[in-house]
Amino acid sequence: MNYSILLLTLVALSIVGYYMGRNRARVTADGRIDRLHSLPSYYGTNVAIWVGLPAFILFAGWAALQAPIIEGLVFGSLPDQIRMTVNGDLLATAKMTAAQKTLFLNNVQNIATGDIASQAVSDDVRRAAAHYARLRGLSFMMMIGAMLIAAAIGAFFAYRAINPTMRARNTVERVVSGVMLVCSTLAVMTTVGIVLSLLFESFDFFTKVSPIEFLFGTDWSPQTAIRADQVGSSGAFGAIPVFAGTLLITVIAMIVAVPVGLYAAVYLSEYARPKVRSTVKPVMEILAGVPTVVYGFFAALTVAPFVRDAGNSIGLDVASESALAAGVVMGVMIIPFVSSLSDDVINAVPQSMRDGSYGLGATRSETIREVILPAALPGIVGAVLLAVSRAIGETMIVVMAAGLSANLTANPFEAVTTVTVQIVTNLTGDPEFDSPKTLSAFALGLVLFVVTLCLNVVALRVVQKYREKYE
Amino acid sequence: MNEAIAAVGGTAETAPQAPPGLKFVTRNVCVFYGEKQALNGIDLDITECEVTALIGPSGCGKSTYLRCLNRMNDTIDGARVTGSLELDGEDIYDPRLDVVQLRARVGMVFQKPNPFPKSIYDNVAYGPRIHGLVTGKAETDEIVHTSLAKAGLIDEVKDRLQEPGTGLSGGQQQRLCIARAIAVSPEVILMDEPCSALDPIATARIEELIDELRENYTIVIVTHSMQQAARVSQKTAFFHLGDLIEYGETAQIFTNPQDEKTQGYITGRFG
Repeated sequence: MNYSILLLTLVALSIVGYYMGRNRARVTADGRIDRLHSLPSYYGTNVAIWVGLPAFILFAGWAALQAPIIEGLVFGSLPDQIRMTVNGDLLATAKMTAAQKTLFLNNVQNIATGDIASQAVSDDVRRAAAHYARLRGLSFMMMIGAMLIAAAIGAFFAYRAINPTMRARNTVERVVSGVMLVCSTLAVMTTVGIVLSLLFESFDFFTKVSPIEFLFGTDWSPQTAIRADQVGSSGAFGAIPVFAGTLLITVIAMIVAVPVGLYAAVYLSEYARPKVRSTVKPVMEILAGVPTVVYGFFAALTVAPFVRDAGNSIGLDVASESALAAGVVMGVMIIPFVSSLSDDVINAVPQSMRDGSYGLGATRSETIREVILPAALPGIVGAVLLAVSRAIGETMIVVMAAGLSANLTANPFEAVTTVTVQIVTNLTGDPEFDSPKTLSAFALGLVLFVVTLCLNVVALRVVQKYREKYE
Repeated sequence: MNEAIAAVGGTAETAPQAPPGLKFVTRNVCVFYGEKQALNGIDLDITECEVTALIGPSGCGKSTYLRCLNRMNDTIDGARVTGSLELDGEDIYDPRLDVVQLRARVGMVFQKPNPFPKSIYDNVAYGPRIHGLVTGKAETDEIVHTSLAKAGLIDEVKDRLQEPGTGLSGGQQQRLCIARAIAVSPEVILMDEPCSALDPIATARIEELIDELRENYTIVIVTHSMQQAARVSQKTAFFHLGDLIEYGETAQIFTNPQDEKTQGYITGRFG
């Protein structure tokens, strides 16, 4: 059962088809290529497509459908009552639960592929496994046969259809544009898939915790008791402190990133000599290439203790995982983002604006303040919004440098937690997917997704509007 | 055109050294862009309250010369100016001179209308505000209105002063730019092909305006249109390949050019 060899064979057949088709095109034209409608390579490609594509579609469809069909057949052939394990109870096959069916099928598949089954299995399971293996083998042989027949039929018709008036190029181009369409929708489909998975899991969560409590509750402690007799940890899922934490850290990050990034952009585009600009700009962009995990331990091991010690030395009570440290480092991470985008929009302001202003006797700073920044403002707003949505979604820095306890506070010296941190902690390890603790990650993710999506949409629209103005 | 030329007559002598009534006296002006020399020692005087036209084929240095007069070449990387340029007897390339004040005295209108992305009102008020010429709303209102009136634009825009200046038509935008320059009360207005982006009707409006402005302002205009130079200017200077070929009364340049190149250019044999 080797699918990859099968596919490689198919590719080889297509290549053979390509050369045959190309040759035949040359032969039918009596060596005068200019009499052909398309170049010979298009005729070859056309044959290759007809050999490969129908067989491949057949393969994909077969692979998708064979598992449920075989499983249905295996179940259908079971006796009325079976034992799962050697000493187990008799189960009525018609009344098995979904979990029991899954377990049964897992055992069957494991035995059929020669792996070790989870428990000592009964003869019923062994018989089913043998049946399963037979069906799989049969299905595979049938699939090979069907694919070869499809390839042969495709090759036959495509090969025979070759004549100088055949529009091979048009057919090939249609197929290629179809392939490009599939590729471009792939990203869209992935997004849809992500949204759907978020939606379903969040829906599960909201059947356990009411949306009102989640969106408006001010108490977040997701630790739930695993056993009924465990102490404490009843679980509270009011997400406001978590979102407030994200907001606080984002605000701190933007307070750092926006002025610094903007000043850097103004300096680089208006004041810096070309030599300075050509060195400083790439160096700033290196900052954007630092992995966020590196920023994370920089924040946790260098900045946070520094902030704490500095605060303590002037008599402030600063937590070691203060929102300030995480926010400042996140701001530094975003600086190149803001400055690079702003630099682009400032450079897009036409030179004639600057000339007009200088020609009136305006100084450089007046020109920047009164003419260039207002003209570039929409683009700068767009840049800042994009930066905000990055800050909100940023994970690694806050996982390492921000705390876990959900404090509802606006004090940057206290420890806060963020949405992304909670998602990470609730989903890593060995989560059970029926506890609200795990599922809450999806609800948080959903809200986060909606917020950043809105920000991105607004930002992109603003940036777009700006672009239209000067082009 | 012919009538204008006939009325002025032909005195062929270049102006004497710095008599009263000369706004700019420039001697041996050379401009380099990096290694490339764009102007090779220009001696030219600009008479007060007259229109001086600079003509010549593309790349002859006339715009470069114009941009020396308010030091706009400073904004170009690698541009270097040598020689002496005096405005009312003051060296304008003196390091002690404040270029901001120079540009307030010598305003500029560009080839392409370039209103700021602000309202019509703020476009005109911009200059007076940054130079502190106005305090309070009433004064600003007055200067905006008189400037727009001088530029012949007030009737068209007086009901929509708060609308963006970029929403006006090309000719209106150019007159807005002239109003913007006038609002700072300059002594000289430099115009770099102010009509090249405009249709003939808008061009005629601007030319009329230039003729009116001549009463109070010294105007230096770069133009590609010989007819325009003949219509609006009193003095004409012909540039070719970075040299000043001929300078004199407009009528004389157009009817009785002394230099073969000038004659070739104005009769359309090259350029």
